[in-house]
Amino acid sequence: MSGPNVWTRSRERMRRFPDLLAQCSTEAAAYGKCVVATTTGKQELKKDLCAKEFEGLKACFVSAAKRGMK
Amino acid sequence: MNNLVSSRAVGGACLLCRRGAAVSARVTQQRPHPPPLTRLSSRLLSSRQGGTMNVFDRNMKRRQKKWASSLQEHNKYDYLRDEVGSRVADRIYDIARTFPLALDVGCGKSHIAEHLSKEVVERLFLTDISDGLLRQKKESEMPTHCVMADEEFLPFRENTFDLVVSSLSMHWINDLPGALRQIHQVLKPDGVFIGAMVGGETLYELRCSLQLAELEREGGFSPHISPYTAVTDLGNLLGQAGFNMLTVDVDEIQVHYPGMLDVMCDLQGMGESNCVWNRKSLLHRDTILAAAAVYKEMYGNEDGSVPATFEILYMIGWKPHESQVKPAKRGSATASFADLSKISQSEASIKTDNP
Repeated sequence: MSGPNVWTRSRERMRRFPDLLAQCSTEAAAYGKCVVATTTGKQELKKDLCAKEFEGLKACFVSAAKRGMK
Repeated sequence: MNNLVSSRAVGGACLLCRRGAAVSARVTQQRPHPPPLTRLSSRLLSSRQGGTMNVFDRNMKRRQKKWASSLQEHNKYDYLRDEVGSRVADRIYDIARTFPLALDVGCGKSHIAEHLSKEVVERLFLTDISDGLLRQKKESEMPTHCVMADEEFLPFRENTFDLVVSSLSMHWINDLPGALRQIHQVLKPDGVFIGAMVGGETLYELRCSLQLAELEREGGFSPHISPYTAVTDLGNLLGQAGFNMLTVDVDEIQVHYPGMLDVMCDLQGMGESNCVWNRKSLLHRDTILAAAAVYKEMYGNEDGSVPATFEILYMIGWKPHESQVKPAKRGSATASFADLSKISQSEASIKTDNP
């Protein structure tokens, strides 16, 4: 395999993904519930239907990533 | 998707034209932004006569397998192939025979042979599209010969093998009816084919989560999990290829992972990444995050792990031979179906009923 390059670096970053997601389990659950609710109810799934929940999840994820860097 | 369109036998000349076409297709793929129309036409050109059956990018699959075989810890992704390989070997042991010459189509690192003894298979040919995998083949008792060949074009003479096996590779074949026909061709009469492939509802958790997440984040979705053969079609496929005395059964293997990313990493490590022609070249970061959340919420277990389901379809078919048992002639029955209910009675009373 070749030395470190953009692929190995992004791969390295992806390795932290499960950890970071685990730190945001409540936000992830809220977003998940919002999306999953559309599979049973009458509400059709559209783009940005759960934008608010996703913003919450992403904000938490990004801050967790920043904390990890320090 | 591998539907029941009848296929033509593939000759040597076609193999050449296919090779050339595949190369030209790759060149067009490498262009930065090919206009959609040219891309479509190149895709059609690269297939043989039946353009509808060119679903998978075989060149990409070869590269993915090569990449997977170059990983340092490539062995840790072998768990599924080892398991299914042992189950295929089990089915070989069920046949009370010694097979002088056998062929493993799409052997990977030879996951079946390590479970076989030389009393069952005396000599084994291994074929795979990736030389990287063949070089790492596992030890086995019987002598083996490696041939790097595409499963879609078997380079063997007719009536060569007593047994053909295949484990977890046929789900990437474009022309499944044609491939089965070729397997039928290289088998000797009274030879048997034992295969296993993923199909049915395999990876439905990942498929659904990605679809939901892409729909919500991007407003549309593209295929990330390849189309699979349904178990109900398998009997017809084998029958059309000329096999008889068919056996088809389904096994469900559920693997528990820490999260969605681990499912995807492991699939990549197995060389099982998506290689459908119309795949999307990247998955947006937001979508991955969204899909991981949906996966966990929808399918997650109480302990925080997530399941991934693999539906393995096993098929057994025999090449016809006179010695094989035939169905009895019409009207040759000596008992009536109407008397079926009396079978539970003692044998003596049945004898008096039907002298």
